[in-house]
Amino acid sequence: MIKRHLEKKLSGRIGLHLFLGITSFLTVSPFIWVVFTSFKPSNEIVTETPRLLPAVWTLENYLKLPKVAPFMRFFLNSIIISGVSTFCIALGSAACGYVFAKYRFRGKDFLFGLVIATILIPLQTYIVPLYLLTWKLGWINTYQGMIFPLIIMSSGIFFLRQNIMSIPDTLIDAARVDGATEWRVFFSIILPLSVSAIAAISIVNWVYTWSLFIWPLIVANSTEMFTMELGLMYFQREFAVDYGGIMAACVITLLPVLAVFLIFRTRIIEGVAFTGIKR
Amino acid sequence: MEKALLRRKRVAVGVGSRLTWGQIGFLWTMVMPVIAMFIIIRVIPILVVLLMSFTNYSLHRPIVKFLPYKNFLRMFGDPNFITAFVNSTEFVLIAVPAEIFLGLAFAIFLNRKVKFESLYETLYFLPYIVPMVPAAIIWKWIYAPGTYGLANYLLDKVGLPHVGWMSTPQISLLAVIGIHVWKQIGFFVIIFLVGLKNIPGSFREAALVDGATPWEVTRHVDIPLLKPVILFGVVMATLWAWSAFTEVYIISQGTDISTGAEIQVMVTRIYAEGFLYFKLGYASAISFALFLISLIFVVVQFRLLKTEKI
Repeated sequence: MIKRHLEKKLSGRIGLHLFLGITSFLTVSPFIWVVFTSFKPSNEIVTETPRLLPAVWTLENYLKLPKVAPFMRFFLNSIIISGVSTFCIALGSAACGYVFAKYRFRGKDFLFGLVIATILIPLQTYIVPLYLLTWKLGWINTYQGMIFPLIIMSSGIFFLRQNIMSIPDTLIDAARVDGATEWRVFFSIILPLSVSAIAAISIVNWVYTWSLFIWPLIVANSTEMFTMELGLMYFQREFAVDYGGIMAACVITLLPVLAVFLIFRTRIIEGVAFTGIKR
Repeated sequence: MEKALLRRKRVAVGVGSRLTWGQIGFLWTMVMPVIAMFIIIRVIPILVVLLMSFTNYSLHRPIVKFLPYKNFLRMFGDPNFITAFVNSTEFVLIAVPAEIFLGLAFAIFLNRKVKFESLYETLYFLPYIVPMVPAAIIWKWIYAPGTYGLANYLLDKVGLPHVGWMSTPQISLLAVIGIHVWKQIGFFVIIFLVGLKNIPGSFREAALVDGATPWEVTRHVDIPLLKPVILFGVVMATLWAWSAFTEVYIISQGTDISTGAEIQVMVTRIYAEGFLYFKLGYASAISFALFLISLIFVVVQFRLLKTEKI
């Protein structure tokens, strides 16, 4: 009886692992396929009988990339855009979070409501006026034009406010009584105590801006302003049959994100779960 | 003496609606610029979309005319808009249930104290974190015609006929929805898993002691308690499905359905009218329709959460 119960339990466990294993493998299998393909010579890619592992490993797909498109430049552009955006959001969200958590003044609720009201409205709905504004400012095809819509984040402010609320008032008051200025309080107490929250929103924002496609697509119109995503899109449009090259370019685009993800896995999941369950 | 202490305390806490000069300085230098950006980047554009949707604004035309209803009338007679609207609706109706159902299933199984939980979690989550452009390009190649594409090759292997993934509009749209679902599932796995972990273990144990099977526990304990998170997930999934763009854009480039007219959705329509034909007024009208639909969902979401709290 007990043995049968255990057997049943064990087979249930095995079934569970089979289900999770197969579905999670299927989820990532496109990536595995792409990585191996990017190391194949072209005659192995366009074939009637494709195989997972390359028979001959080659780097030719990667080595030709810099010759056909300035991927290094695309990469730098993406870094600049994501970097400036993330810096502004980290600092701005912490400052706003501090004020919304600890200050008391008239109109605070109104301002906070203003920040939160737009939290779920997709960029796509107001992209036309935003483009018009960029155009009027003469910022089409410039870094400032590509970055400025990305320097605010409602959920970042909300997250930091929740975090800073848990910093005891007495700590802040003690510093103020000792004559610390607001700047001093912010930089020496608030920032160090909310580092992990700031890291979480920074990484989430980094991934978001790195992946953003529609805004660079309409604002950048010359090759030297392209981001990785745009560059990849044009590359696959121009070299539609060069599967090896396209796959190598895809791998290069994926790598930085994958690296960031694997390093900060817990933080990212925490950040995403938070922006998910925001009460 | 006491008065001085009191004042000192007041300075420290910034009691009442009085801020110290230092606090006012901090507010105006660090916070107000951010608020100003919110107004410039979000609030004003959202209001301007509404205004522009009543005009014939175009980058090619210097004179702007006010058209009280023409754009909206035109939408209903525009076959492109109707196709886009129908496709977006199909997108929502298929993607949302699929994402919620699969996300819930994976989260519930992951929550059964399995080994390697974080490995599985990471694998499910991977597509969500990856940019859409390379992901869509990879899928496009998997869907490639003949046996060059992995999808048809695998169908061949199991003896099934080939499918015109990229040449039959009906199937192409489903294929795009498949990419969207594949990419978003990770998010739902995560939020549902966090939600499940927040349910006190004693609830489940009580049910198990009473002789409930694991499936019954899931049905009568987990899912009812997870309801707020599921509702939130439905809203997010709907918003994302309505505003899908990149996957449709990438897939409709250079495929057999080369213009992409058959698989266009709301946002590709905004993009085409606004940034290919520069009819910004009409594009605004479509944006406004998208905005209204989004807003309805956001309002419903907040209402549901409010009643949930009480």
